[in-house]
Amino acid sequence: MANEAVVMKNVSKQFKVLNRHEGLKGSIQDLFSRDYKIVNAVSDVSLTVEKGEIIGYLGPNGAGKSTTIKMMTGVLEPSSGEILVDGRVPYKDRTANSEHIGVVFGQRSQLWWNLPLIESFNLLRDIYLVPEKDYQDMLSLYRSLVDIEPILHKPVRQMSLGQRTLSDILAAFLHNPGIVFLDEPTIGLDVSMKARIRELIKGLNEVKQTTVILTTHDMGDVDALCRRIIIIDEGRKIYDNDIEHLKNYFGSYRTLRMRLGDDSWVEQVIDEKKTDVMHAIKEMQKEHKVKDIQLQEISTEEVIRKIYEGSESA
Amino acid sequence: MTSIRKLTALTRAGVIESLQFRLGTAVTLFANLIYLALVYFLWKAIYDSSGVDAVNGMTFYDTMIYLILATAIFNLLEMFIVWDMSRAIQSGEIIMHLLKPMRYRLYTFWSYSGSHVISFFLTFLPTFIVVAIITKGAIPMGWNLLYFMISLILALIVNYNIEMLVAPICLYTESTWGINIVKETIVLLLSGASIPLAFFPEGFRRVVEYLPFRAVYDIPLTVLLGKNGTDTLQGLLPRLGVQLFWCIVLMILGNLFWNVAVKRITVNGG
Repeated sequence: MANEAVVMKNVSKQFKVLNRHEGLKGSIQDLFSRDYKIVNAVSDVSLTVEKGEIIGYLGPNGAGKSTTIKMMTGVLEPSSGEILVDGRVPYKDRTANSEHIGVVFGQRSQLWWNLPLIESFNLLRDIYLVPEKDYQDMLSLYRSLVDIEPILHKPVRQMSLGQRTLSDILAAFLHNPGIVFLDEPTIGLDVSMKARIRELIKGLNEVKQTTVILTTHDMGDVDALCRRIIIIDEGRKIYDNDIEHLKNYFGSYRTLRMRLGDDSWVEQVIDEKKTDVMHAIKEMQKEHKVKDIQLQEISTEEVIRKIYEGSESA
Repeated sequence: MTSIRKLTALTRAGVIESLQFRLGTAVTLFANLIYLALVYFLWKAIYDSSGVDAVNGMTFYDTMIYLILATAIFNLLEMFIVWDMSRAIQSGEIIMHLLKPMRYRLYTFWSYSGSHVISFFLTFLPTFIVVAIITKGAIPMGWNLLYFMISLILALIVNYNIEMLVAPICLYTESTWGINIVKETIVLLLSGASIPLAFFPEGFRRVVEYLPFRAVYDIPLTVLLGKNGTDTLQGLLPRLGVQLFWCIVLMILGNLFWNVAVKRITVNGG
């Protein structure tokens, strides 16, 4: 067996979009318009995901994250390039591919709205042809990771958003797929629910060795779960490496705070490529008395923000 | 490849889901009463003004039995695929259906099957029993009931395939209401659901005979009532054959159309 869960080679995706015109006259024009423009949602992206990894797939809104995920699941065909998911071409045999992947698209649910959760699980067990023993094992694994008893007999429509997301994640893992795609799973959740969901994902990944591809805007998710991240912007891959490298890659930034003689604090962002902390303190001491210092590591969130903002101006 | 276990699981879930809406059944039955009162007075007026007992070989009594049972079948067959599909497409929910490990058309059919089972027992069967008791022997009770069940299942498949042939049009037009009303009107008129086909002018009826719609209402009802020689195998088999023929033809056409239509989602993102 190959060791790659996902391989993408030079994948691009273009959409044809009608150029809409303004106003009533414009709307009437649009009825007959053949004026299309081509939008490049994803351009020339190549990436490899190893089995058992949790990958953070990041990018600003509209960067092409969901489009990539949809291509990996097989609901979108790439315009060019190759995709292999677990050795299969997803869009050519979507149904067969579906048996081996799990999907959670935040804010959408694959559960049966009017059925108690356990009935949805039973139904998924049957349509994915999960053997009874594996199914029971999976349910007891779930019990050991989260407290599912209170929601198991609740119809999905009566659940809170957090409970529903939790249920959807459990549903995605139920047939023990090799790969699970989580598209913004923690969107709109409170801190404690986010933490539970992160623990759950981490636990399932450890026990089942499931590859997880996670898109999110919450750097807390990334810090908690991912060792490696891929960032895309405007359809292009701009970063693909470990989180630790990320901070060095775009300059190693730290924030230095100094308390001066008059007890006021000054802040200075240190780019370690250009200077270092001790040097900055020395410089300051030439003119002021420095009574105290604090050193803050830059957060992933700030680095990512720098990247998003940097690529916008570029 | 598809195992029976997948299909029955979907039916079972549909049954449980339908049972959550018990009140819906009561409302359906009530609406039927109003509709049937209207039908009663309308046809009474038609028969009174014609001045004869039997119009086109059907007495007022025959016509009423036919139309009441047609209404019961209508409740049983009623599907909202056009609505459901267009809503799923507009909200993007459809990708969750496409990602099920079953072919979409098969998955959809079996997802609806549970609600058919429930409406068979909760609306069709009570209506049938009441009509059978009131009319005391107007509906023959024999093998025709078995043949009717076969014919009804074929009718259901034909009806589903008509729905699935029409529904993907909303991928192109975005006008769900219009498409649905056109489909509804054509099916109800040309299938003999609102007016028995016997009342159609000769030439028009000939045309309708060659269309698939009569396989939905006219044929199963004729078989149930044992009319037009359907009480013999020579009369019965050609009719079931017509239904089977349309099942297959519409299934193939629907499949072809769906495979083209789904490209709009998979290529252009819907």
